[in-house]
Amino acid sequence: MKAKHANTLLALLLLASAHGAAARQAAPPKRPPVAFAEVPAKASGINWVHNNAHSPERWLPETVGAGCAFLDYDGDGWMDIYLVNSGPSDFYAPTAPLRNALYRNNRDGTFSDVTDRAGVAGGTFGMGAAAADYDGDGRQDLYVTSYGRNILYRNNGDGTFADVTAKAGVAAPGWSTCATWLDYDADGRLDLFVSSFVFYDKTQNLYCTDESKRRYYCVPRFFKPAASRLFRNKGDGTFADASRESGIADSPGKSFGAVATDVNNDGLIDLFVANDTMPNFLFINKGGGKFEEEGLGAGVAYSEAGRPRSGMGVDAGDFDGDGWQDLFVANIDQEFFSLYRNQKDLTFTDEPGEIAPATQLLSGWGLKFFDYDNDGDADLLLANGHPDDLIEMRVARVKYREPLLMFENTRRSYKNVSAHSGAVFARDFSGRGLAVGDYDNDGDLDALLSNNGEPPVLLRNDGGSRGNWLGLRLVATKSNPAAVGTLITWQAGGVKRTRLKTGGGSYLASHDPREVLGLGEAAKADAVEIRWPSGKVDRLVGPPANRYVTVVEGEGIK
Amino acid sequence: MFDAQAKLSAVTLCLLLFVAHARAQGPAAARQGRLEQAAAHIAADRLAEAEQQLDAMLKAAPSDVLALNLLGTVRAKQGRLEEAEALFLRAVRADRRFVGARMNLAYLYLLKGAPEKTAAELREVLRLDPANMDAADRLARLVCALESGLEECVRLVEGERGAGRLTPALALLLGDAYLRKNDLSRAEELYLRVLGSLATSAEAQVGMALVSQARGDARAAALHLTRARESVGDAPELLYRFAVAALKSGMYAEAQEALERAARLAPADAAYRVALGAVWLKKPDLFEAERAFREALRLSPDEPRALMYLGYTLLKQKKTAEARGLLERSARNDATSAETFYYLGLAAQEQADDAAAVEYFGTAVRLLPTYARAHVALGSVFLKLKQYPKAQAALEAGVTLDPDDSKAHYNLARLYAQLKDPKRARAEMEIVERLKSEGKAREDDSAAPPGPR
Repeated sequence: MKAKHANTLLALLLLASAHGAAARQAAPPKRPPVAFAEVPAKASGINWVHNNAHSPERWLPETVGAGCAFLDYDGDGWMDIYLVNSGPSDFYAPTAPLRNALYRNNRDGTFSDVTDRAGVAGGTFGMGAAAADYDGDGRQDLYVTSYGRNILYRNNGDGTFADVTAKAGVAAPGWSTCATWLDYDADGRLDLFVSSFVFYDKTQNLYCTDESKRRYYCVPRFFKPAASRLFRNKGDGTFADASRESGIADSPGKSFGAVATDVNNDGLIDLFVANDTMPNFLFINKGGGKFEEEGLGAGVAYSEAGRPRSGMGVDAGDFDGDGWQDLFVANIDQEFFSLYRNQKDLTFTDEPGEIAPATQLLSGWGLKFFDYDNDGDADLLLANGHPDDLIEMRVARVKYREPLLMFENTRRSYKNVSAHSGAVFARDFSGRGLAVGDYDNDGDLDALLSNNGEPPVLLRNDGGSRGNWLGLRLVATKSNPAAVGTLITWQAGGVKRTRLKTGGGSYLASHDPREVLGLGEAAKADAVEIRWPSGKVDRLVGPPANRYVTVVEGEGIK
Repeated sequence: MFDAQAKLSAVTLCLLLFVAHARAQGPAAARQGRLEQAAAHIAADRLAEAEQQLDAMLKAAPSDVLALNLLGTVRAKQGRLEEAEALFLRAVRADRRFVGARMNLAYLYLLKGAPEKTAAELREVLRLDPANMDAADRLARLVCALESGLEECVRLVEGERGAGRLTPALALLLGDAYLRKNDLSRAEELYLRVLGSLATSAEAQVGMALVSQARGDARAAALHLTRARESVGDAPELLYRFAVAALKSGMYAEAQEALERAARLAPADAAYRVALGAVWLKKPDLFEAERAFREALRLSPDEPRALMYLGYTLLKQKKTAEARGLLERSARNDATSAETFYYLGLAAQEQADDAAAVEYFGTAVRLLPTYARAHVALGSVFLKLKQYPKAQAALEAGVTLDPDDSKAHYNLARLYAQLKDPKRARAEMEIVERLKSEGKAREDDSAAPPGPR
C-alpha cells in the first residue's frame, strides 16, 4: 500500500534543479603536494585594494571587476604586476581618486608601486587588462578594458607608458570586459579581440528585488547583448575595426572570458568566448580574415539540455595530451562548470568529472590551465565568487565569497587537490581575475588573484619546481610578438609532450608570456621543437634544465 | 514495509469470530469446548498447546472443518504459510460454504503477497454471504487499491450504497475511485456526504482538496488542505495522503511536516523517508533529499525506488560513480522501471560510457515506448557517436511523443549544425527559444518523467 503511495507521490514530482556539493575534496596525491602560500601585503608591498564602487543601487559593473596581469613592463626578466580598479563613470563619482596600480618586481619577493611614474593609473571604470607587444618593439604594452572607454598604453621603454588609445583607434566605448591578443590573419602582427558585455548605462539600471524588497544585482538576462570587437593591427600603430568584415559582429553576446587557440589544428587561430545567460561562441577562423560561429554544432554553446548558461571564465589547453585543444568554461552556481574534451572533428563532449560536484555551488571567473607541479601536463586553478553580495539571503548553501580550487591532471581527468594545496584554499574570496606567472623566477608558476572590493592575493608556488623544468622566452621575428599559435613539443624521460601557446584565457587577466615546460623527474629535456606560426621551426637539442632560455624565431637559443 | 506480525494477529482475531459462530452450530458441546480452548491458546500465543489439542481432534475427525481452520491459523502464526494454506483449503473443500476458512484464506493470500487470490476468496464469501459487510469492506479496500480494480471498486461500493450500507469509510473509498475516474462531481458529492456526517474528516478534506486541484481551483484546494491539516491526526497513511495533496498545491512545508510526522510514527517504514526525500527534491534541496533517501535505504537497503531516487539525486550532484552503482542495484531489484534505466543511461553518458548509455536508454525505450525523454537521450548519444541517421530517428521519435521537449529540439539543432544545415538548425533553436519564452523549456538534463502513472 505504502509502496504504491510512494510510486504515486514520486511520480507526481517534477524533480527540480540541483543544489549543492562539497567544494573541497580530500584525497591525498601520491607525490609530496605542491602548495601555494599566500604572500601577505606587508611582505610583498602590494597594499592596493580594489574598490568595487558598491552602492545601494547595485549598478551591474560594480560586481564584475576587476582584473589583474603579470607582465614584464621594464624588460628585466622579472614579472611585474598590474591591477585594475573602478573609477568615474556615468553612475559613479568616487569621493577620492581611484587608480589602477603597476607594481615593479624588486626581484626579492617584494614589489614597488610605480603607477604614477609609469602613467598607467587609468581613470576609467576599469575591468581587465591584457599585456602584449602590439607594436613589435620588444616591450610589453598594456590594454585596459573598462565600462566606458578602454585604454591602450604603449610602453615607451623607459619605465613609462603613453596613452595611445585615440591614435590606435581602440577605445571601444561601451562595456568591455576581457581583451585577448591574437594574430587572426597570420600577418605577424598582434590583433585585438575585445569582449563586449551588455548595452548598459545609468538609465538602464533595473530594480531587481524579491519578496524581501532588498535590491540585488540584476541577472544579465535583462539587458541587451552587444557585439564584441575585433581590431586588426595595421602595423603602423593603428588598428582597423574588423568586427563586421570578420563576422564577429554578426554574433552579439554578453561576453566575458575569451581565449585564442586553434581547436581544429588547421593552423589558424580560433576564438572561444564565454557568454553570460547566452550561448557561448566558438568563432572558427576560416582564413581570409573571416570567422564563423560554430558553437552550437560543436556542443560548447549550451548545456546538455540546450540551455544557455552563465559563462564567465574560459581557457583552452590540451589536458588529455592528445594534441587537440580542450576547452573550459566556468559558470554560475547550480550550472556546473564544463570541461569540453575535443573530439578532433570540431565537436566537444562535456566531461568535467570530479570538477562538477566540487563546483556545483560555486560561480567561477578566473581560471587557468597550467602545469603547477612541472610534471608536464596541464593542471587547473579556479577562482570563484558569487556576483550577488546578497546571495546568502536568497539561496541556501551558496555563498558570496567562495574558495579557490586546485585540480591536478590525471591525464584522463582531474583530481581535486585543494585540501592539500595550501591554507589559502580553506579561505573564501570574492574572486574575479586570475593571472598566472613565475614572479620569483624559480621555475614554478605562481598566481595572482584579484578580488572584487578586496585586496588582491599573491600566491607563491612552493614545491612546483621540485620537478625539473625548462623556461622559454620566445622572441618572434616573423610571427606575432606574443607567439600565440606556437606549438612547442618537448621530450623528456621518454615522454613526448606538446603545448600550444594560446592567447588570453581566464577572466580579465593577462599572464606571464614565458612558457615553463615541466620535465618531471627527467634531468633535462632531450629535445624541444618550437614550431612558430610563421612555419619556422627551431629545434633545441639537450637544452639546459631549470633555467629560462631565450629562443629567437629561426635562430634557436640566444 | 509490510507488517507480517500485525497481519498474523488479524488472522487470529478473525478466526476467533468463526469459533464463536461454530459454537452455535456444533452438535457436541465437548467438541465445542475443545475448540474454544484451542482458540484461547492461540489468542494467548500458546501455540504448542493449541496444536496438541487440534491434532488430537483431527486424528479423531480428519475433516473437522473448524479444527482444520484453527490448525491453519496456528501454522500461519508459526510462519508456516504453505501448511496453513493447505489446512484452510482442506477446510474449504470439506465445506464449500465455510465462510470463516475462506476469510482466513483471504488474509493468508494477503500475507503471501497475492492480492488477486485474496480478492477471489472475498468475492466467494460475498457470493455465499452477500450481507457480509466485513468482506465487502475488505474487498472494496483491496480492489480500490489495485490499479486495475477501479471499475470493480465502483461497482462493489455502489452495490453497498444501493443496499443502504454505505459507511463513511466506503464513501471515502468511492469518492477516491470517482476522483481517479476524473468524475469530480460524484467524488465531491461523496466527500461532502462524509463531511456532512463527520465535519472534521481529514480524509474527506484531502479528497476535496484533490477535487479542487483537479478543477484548477488552487485557492479552494489550499483551504481544504488547511482544514485537513487541523485534523489529520497521527495515522501515517493519512499523513502521507495529505502530503501528496499538499505537494500538488505547492505547500512544501506542510507536506514536509506531515511526512516527518509519519516517519516519526512509523520509524521503520522506509516509504515515508522516500517520500520526504521527494519533497526535498521538489523544494529543491538535493542535500536534504540525499539525506532522506540514505535514511530510507538504511531502513530498507534493497528498496528499488529508494535506490533509484538516491541514484537520481547523486546524479544531479554529478556524483556519477556512486549514482551509477545505486541505479544498477535498483535495476537488479526491479528490472521493469524505465526511469531507472533512463537515469542509468544518463550516468553512463556522464562517464563517457557511450555503449552502455545506448544499452540503457534502449532498455528504457523498450520498457516504455512512449518515454519521450529516453528517445531523446538515446538520440543525443547517437549524435555524439556521429551516427546521424539513428540520432535523427530517435530525436524525431522524441519530438513526436513530446513536441515541447526542448532538449530534443536542441539536439536536432546540433545535428543539423553538424550536418551543415544551418537553416534547419536555426529553426530548431527557434523552437527551443519559443519553448523557453513559454516557460516550457527543460530546466535541467535529467528531470524525472512527469505525471502520475
